[in-house]
Amino acid sequence: MNASPDKPLVDPRKAQAFRCVRCSYAEGVAELVYAFDNGPELIERVRFPDAPALTEARKPAFDAALRMLHLFAGVSYFKAGVPARIEVETGAPDAATADLLDALYLHGLAEFAYRNGLDLRGKIAFPRRSAPAREWNSGSRAGALLQRHRALVPIGGGKDSLVVAEALKSAGIAATAIWVGASPLIASVAARTGLPMLNIGRELSPLLFEYNRIGAWNGHIPVTAINSAILACAAILYRYDAIAFANERSASAATLEYEGQQVNHQWSKGWAFEKLFADWLHSHVAADLDYFSLLRPYSELAVTRAFAKSGAAYFDAFSSCNRNFRILGPKPADRWCGQCPKCHFVFLALAPFLPKPRLLQIFGRNLLDDEALAPGFDALIEYHDHKPFECVGEASEARAAFAELAARPEWREDALVARFREEIAPRLDASVLTLQPWLLPSTEHGVPERFAGALDAIRRA
Amino acid sequence: MNASASAPLAPDAPWVVLKFGGTSVATVERWRTILQLAAARRAEGARVLVVVSALSGITDALKALCACAPIERADALAKIIERHRALAAQMQLAHTAEMDRWLASLQALVVAAAPEQLRWQATVQAHGELLSSSLGAAFMAANGLPTTWIDAREALLAREVPFLNERARVLSAQVQAEPDPALASALAARGEVFISQGFIARDGDGQTVLLGRGGSDTSAAYFGALLRASRVEIWTDVAGMFTADPRQVPGARLLQRLDYDEAQEIATTGAKVLHARCLSPCRRARVPLWVKDTQHPDLDGTVVAPQPTEVAPSIKAISSRRGITLVSMETSGMWQQVGFLADVFALFKQHGLSVDLIGSAETNVTVSLDPSENLLDSDVVAALAADLAKVCRVKVIAPCAAVTLVGRGMRSMLHRLSGVLAEFGRERVHLISQSSNNLNLTFVVDEAMLDGLLPRLHELLIRAGALRTDDVALFGPSWQALYGGGAELKQVPWWHAQRARLLEVAQATPRYVYHLPTIRERARALRALTSVDRVYYALKANPHPAILRALAEEGIGFECVSPGELAAVDALAEARESPRLFTPNFAPRGDYADALRRGVMLTLDSLHPLQHWPELFAGHEIMLRVDLGRGLGHHDKVRTGGAASKFGLPLDQFDEFLTLARERGLRIAGLHAHLGSGILDAAHWPLVFGQLASLADRIGSVRCLDLGGGLGVPSHPGESELDLAALDTALAEVKRAYPQYGLWLEPGRWLVADAGVLLARVTQTKRKGALNYLGCDAGMHALIRPALYDAWHHIVNLSRLDDAATTLYQVVGPICESGDVLGADRRLPESVEGDVLLIAQAGAYGESMASHYNLRPLAESSVIE
Repeated sequence: MNASPDKPLVDPRKAQAFRCVRCSYAEGVAELVYAFDNGPELIERVRFPDAPALTEARKPAFDAALRMLHLFAGVSYFKAGVPARIEVETGAPDAATADLLDALYLHGLAEFAYRNGLDLRGKIAFPRRSAPAREWNSGSRAGALLQRHRALVPIGGGKDSLVVAEALKSAGIAATAIWVGASPLIASVAARTGLPMLNIGRELSPLLFEYNRIGAWNGHIPVTAINSAILACAAILYRYDAIAFANERSASAATLEYEGQQVNHQWSKGWAFEKLFADWLHSHVAADLDYFSLLRPYSELAVTRAFAKSGAAYFDAFSSCNRNFRILGPKPADRWCGQCPKCHFVFLALAPFLPKPRLLQIFGRNLLDDEALAPGFDALIEYHDHKPFECVGEASEARAAFAELAARPEWREDALVARFREEIAPRLDASVLTLQPWLLPSTEHGVPERFAGALDAIRRA
Repeated sequence: MNASASAPLAPDAPWVVLKFGGTSVATVERWRTILQLAAARRAEGARVLVVVSALSGITDALKALCACAPIERADALAKIIERHRALAAQMQLAHTAEMDRWLASLQALVVAAAPEQLRWQATVQAHGELLSSSLGAAFMAANGLPTTWIDAREALLAREVPFLNERARVLSAQVQAEPDPALASALAARGEVFISQGFIARDGDGQTVLLGRGGSDTSAAYFGALLRASRVEIWTDVAGMFTADPRQVPGARLLQRLDYDEAQEIATTGAKVLHARCLSPCRRARVPLWVKDTQHPDLDGTVVAPQPTEVAPSIKAISSRRGITLVSMETSGMWQQVGFLADVFALFKQHGLSVDLIGSAETNVTVSLDPSENLLDSDVVAALAADLAKVCRVKVIAPCAAVTLVGRGMRSMLHRLSGVLAEFGRERVHLISQSSNNLNLTFVVDEAMLDGLLPRLHELLIRAGALRTDDVALFGPSWQALYGGGAELKQVPWWHAQRARLLEVAQATPRYVYHLPTIRERARALRALTSVDRVYYALKANPHPAILRALAEEGIGFECVSPGELAAVDALAEARESPRLFTPNFAPRGDYADALRRGVMLTLDSLHPLQHWPELFAGHEIMLRVDLGRGLGHHDKVRTGGAASKFGLPLDQFDEFLTLARERGLRIAGLHAHLGSGILDAAHWPLVFGQLASLADRIGSVRCLDLGGGLGVPSHPGESELDLAALDTALAEVKRAYPQYGLWLEPGRWLVADAGVLLARVTQTKRKGALNYLGCDAGMHALIRPALYDAWHHIVNLSRLDDAATTLYQVVGPICESGDVLGADRRLPESVEGDVLLIAQAGAYGESMASHYNLRPLAESSVIE
């Protein structure tokens, strides 16, 4: 796969400027174009299958969402060089938009910066204009743009989005399972929801791989933000009035602090981003398009409990593991690597809520009876180590789950549970090790009133 | 066909019972087969009883009828009636009065429905067989074979079993089936060909009862015992029982001969073809039981009969069961106490859990629980553990799998099982159980270990001489050969056609001979794989210049592991321009410097070079070899993955390597993993590719993934070739998920093994006890693989290629080592001094590993262009 660019590739780390060159949409395909200095154009394509024609009424809203998608998705390319200057050739955004973008690039790339020994503070400044710009604001306040009470549910293949799907189903809310990119795992899980399905295609510019080969910076990007912007476009295009993500409370917790900066691996899944983006959509795209996480009031443990109760149909299909993500096989080991923090956390969090033989059947092995995995589980509970860079729950939740298992006769002799019981628990404050408080919802969330039934279904599962 | 033309049978003519299952009675074509078979047995002079199941799907439909809402019954009934009328129409039956009678009685039962009563349910379900047998009787009579319909309930009487509950008494009854000469002669007076029902019997009150799962096989066995039949034939869709589940082990061999106990054990531990319950009636009455394939009636099938004498002990089958939960109970000194075990087992009973295997030690008792919905979806395990925890320390171990070896005289084979036990030794074995009947040996292991284990064990058992597939009286063809398109049939090796030439060059032996056309053909086959972007030949397999030239001409690159190998390539004008890789292991610093001077791509597999010699690599592109944490292959010494192997960077040092590489200014252009040699399962490489790709995603600079070699070359009779087309398809699939990475392979043995033979001359023969030794001038100095890896090389007497193989030889070399054995227990023609022996598949790791040991000269070599 040797793309032959018109211009020779130069190490993007030497570039002066990252240029968001242009974006366009025609016949179901959005084209997002970027460049470093005068280097070759990097073109990303997002494909909306069977896209209905865009009416004049919805066009301004779609255009505003598309512009934002262009700048959100730019983060994948920007990070290859992290140049000092960002240029937006489609017209500088207004101050509110620029603030959101600055926050996204700074916080969303915090882990990337930490891993690469970079400090992005004071280095990210989107151009901005003081007066509101018309092309950046659909001006839409009308409810007629979108079909009422239809939600897009992004499916990730893991338990969280399935809890949302089941909650919407049980509350009788019309929903469509949507996902971005090709993934046989997600496709098979989405099919099991029984919901209508929508698979958005996304093709990164192949030039990005070429840049990587000549030494570009690489690392974690806030992919949930990019997917959120893609879903905002999809909502306008296909006429949905809600996007119901599945980010739980603990996604807001910082993974670690690094030279005074909070680093959160899943910042774009956090409450701060949700609020910023939801408000921005209301003010700039469509007042009647709600963007929220249905799981925001709940802890990982509460969500896991709900999944144990309502997710039986997915037990032999779902996977939260990131390692084997793109390859699907029939065996548990094809879906759960057993080595990554996600596997460890989901196993641990499900254990209090599922019969032990069932849980072990799902994973194909007993991760808590494998002494070699002690370092991984230690990291989860922040024992000897900091929280690993994956989307997993807070250490206190993991500790509470451990404490619960330590009291269960069918679990207490397993190697890592026994180790927790004998070596770790005595050093912890027993009063904070109870499971029950984690199952209570908090009040901090952005779920619209009309979704109250679905919210409740999770608690009652 | 006109069966009635033959003479009437004598009153004491032998009985044959033929049983046909649901699919065998579902269509008119299948009924023609039944008719032919019954007529043929009658023509052979036997009185025939055909026992049939209900039409496929009808028993389930009747069960559903019993369970459905009253309002749905009429509909369900109509469908059942329709199905039988449709078959009667296909059969073109003029006379369907018998069938109509049963349809009417079924209708009456539905009208007077009493679904809560087990007896009503049993009577309703019995109609499936009553209907199918009535149709069959009419069809056979209408087609020239007068057939007497008999009601199985007249003959089969359920016995009172004290501990059975009502449900079991009615729905899975047992029948007392002792030979009953009075019944046999009463029936003999009524006709020559009979048809009756499987699955049903009567109880002491004359009420209908059912025989439960597998009931039709059991009925046939009961009839066989009652009539003391000369045999019972179970007609089904496969030729019989196999040495393993063919879906897992395509090379599983047909078991042609089993005794009742073995068959019972195999049926209980996994085989589905025969229900375990049908063996005991036949055993008691010593009635042979045949399993036959309806689609291939000429195949021998499996014969279960009293144990033949003069059979060497052999493992007959291996099987596995998944989803097993173990409960391990630990306490000090309590087991000795009277009644303690009884109390513990009472808790299992109290929670409704039935214990299967038991292993015990002084302070520990471990039991196994078979999988059930109850176990998976209720809190029963938690509740049991809570109760047990009051009296002992309890640990719940799952998911486990039981692997069972079955064969009479298991204990006398233990010494052959060392390789098999070693296979288990690497894993966690939780429980081993060996019953006193000396028939089985069961290992309970982690379920995750089961993947690919059965084919491996099957092969190991054959290699160890514990599964004596060479005994053609016991073992038939493989499932692959019977049903899988016969892919195991290998083409005739090249050396058959080159025999004269080989005998000519065998004037001076030992001598290796290489056939370049075979190597070129292999190279082209690999180059034709669309998913493989580049192929490197692992030079160490055989660095013969002629081979290197041929491969270079075919566009193959070279993978070298030492400066000497790099120099060997550089020395050849035809090869030195080919792409090269340098993949050493624990090599000194100077080796890397040498390779960099030659401009060859390096592979690193540890932190050491980056930590200690960073200046050497700065600014270079390298490959990184990782250890994915597990090894594969046919022998310990050829496994190159896992902590016990010295190769590869362990994944826990992966991030550190990336950091060092970044700091030292190296770019990682590729990832490499090689898990071992001799791997015949095509699913292995895509898995490795996927794992490497997910690692590569974390690096960014990677452009190719090198899956190493390890492509297996089958050596034993019955082993299947690696399916290259399947490999290509599977690789193409993972490549679609990761299009940005090129795919490289590094085969060695696969390219050259078959192309080489070792020629040797017979030196002396010797008889010692029961063993015949055949000495030759090629020993372990010429070919060390048999001694080093227990490798199996086919050996023939080239001077007497067409003579019958009559003598069992131990083929040995001239080296002063007791391990200098090229092949044990080889059947060859009677051989004499000076005969030329050919040791096949010696092209790889033969000459390249040869030595001067005992100061014998190195074997020479010749090349056939």
